[in-house]
Amino acid sequence: MANIATQRIKREFKEVIKSEEVAKCAIRVQLVDDNYTELKGEIAGPPDTPYEGGNFVLEIKVPETYPFNPPKVRFITKIWHPNISSVTGAICLDILKDQWAAAMTLRTVLLSLQALLSSAEPDDPQDAVVAKQYKDKLDMFEKTARHWTHVYAGGPCYNQEFADKIKRLEDMGVEENQARVALSSYNWDLERATEQLFSS
Amino acid sequence: MSTSASPAEPSASPPEPSTSGNSSQKEGAGEEARDDRNFECNICLDTAKNAVVSMCGHLFCWPCLHQWLETASARQVCPVCKAAISREKVVPLYGRGSSDQQDPRENSAPRPSGQRTEPDGSLFNGFGLGDNSFHLSFGIGAFPFGFFTSTFNLGETRPSPAAMGTPQHLEEQFLSKIFLWLAIIFIAWLLLA
Repeated sequence: MANIATQRIKREFKEVIKSEEVAKCAIRVQLVDDNYTELKGEIAGPPDTPYEGGNFVLEIKVPETYPFNPPKVRFITKIWHPNISSVTGAICLDILKDQWAAAMTLRTVLLSLQALLSSAEPDDPQDAVVAKQYKDKLDMFEKTARHWTHVYAGGPCYNQEFADKIKRLEDMGVEENQARVALSSYNWDLERATEQLFSS
Repeated sequence: MSTSASPAEPSASPPEPSTSGNSSQKEGAGEEARDDRNFECNICLDTAKNAVVSMCGHLFCWPCLHQWLETASARQVCPVCKAAISREKVVPLYGRGSSDQQDPRENSAPRPSGQRTEPDGSLFNGFGLGDNSFHLSFGIGAFPFGFFTSTFNLGETRPSPAAMGTPQHLEEQFLSKIFLWLAIIFIAWLLLA
């Protein structure tokens, strides 16, 4: 049955390359190995979201039972989003779990993920810290997400204040990414982030 | 769970009507390819083999759909539109070309067969009497005379039997057969007693 998975991925791959979303640079798929079991996806951050201007890379693993089971997808690019783990990039999306249907394709999965970026579901979070910030301090969430998009996904919005705070933690010997996670988790409160970093 | 995404319908463009009879070879091939796409299985994306169609109108190879129903046995939904679907309610498509030349994939159950409804007609040929106008009536009256009249149908005009194929005709056939059996049982009982 691995045969049907490969056959289908080949067909989908051809289809996605020809699709209009690719022409508009909204989504992209690349092969990672020659036997079509692992692919690299890319989605553009949707306009009017904190992810605008960013380019997010995804790891797509095609199981042998595809398309009867969903592909395993996670974000390689770090992202600040309630339904995506800021640490592992794991995604909480129903169609990648129990709502998968065999007629869905790489193209629809990537478009669904793009839709997830523009409409987060904080009530069904993958990252509880991000979800709490999204619900309590939406403004702070958007700034943080924009900052992450700039740093990891090549987004346009540079944030001097956040960069300075990270620099101060780095001067204390904290690794940059670790400093960013701590500050983001504590709403960019330098004191509390420092406390948390040095208490553990 | 999180965001629901609507599964995309395959967006096949409607075939253009050919305007002239002498269209070039290339155009014809393009049209053929487009036509083929209309008959792609929604699961393997290949031209459907042993094709079945769901009640919601979506086309699949039977082996593909069977495997989907096996995999998602707790949630029997159409892979395209997520309407309820079941093994019993898919309709096989029989084209004119032979469908037996395809290799049925391993582990797939035989495709459900089409359901035929017989047109209305004589359904009660069970006793093999052949002659559908056979009638037998049975009654108990004033013994010697009533018996004779009812047995030999003397002295009274009976309404003619209902026309073949009508519900009334079927009903009459059925009743007369019941009475025939009752008479046989009654006679047997008389002989044994």
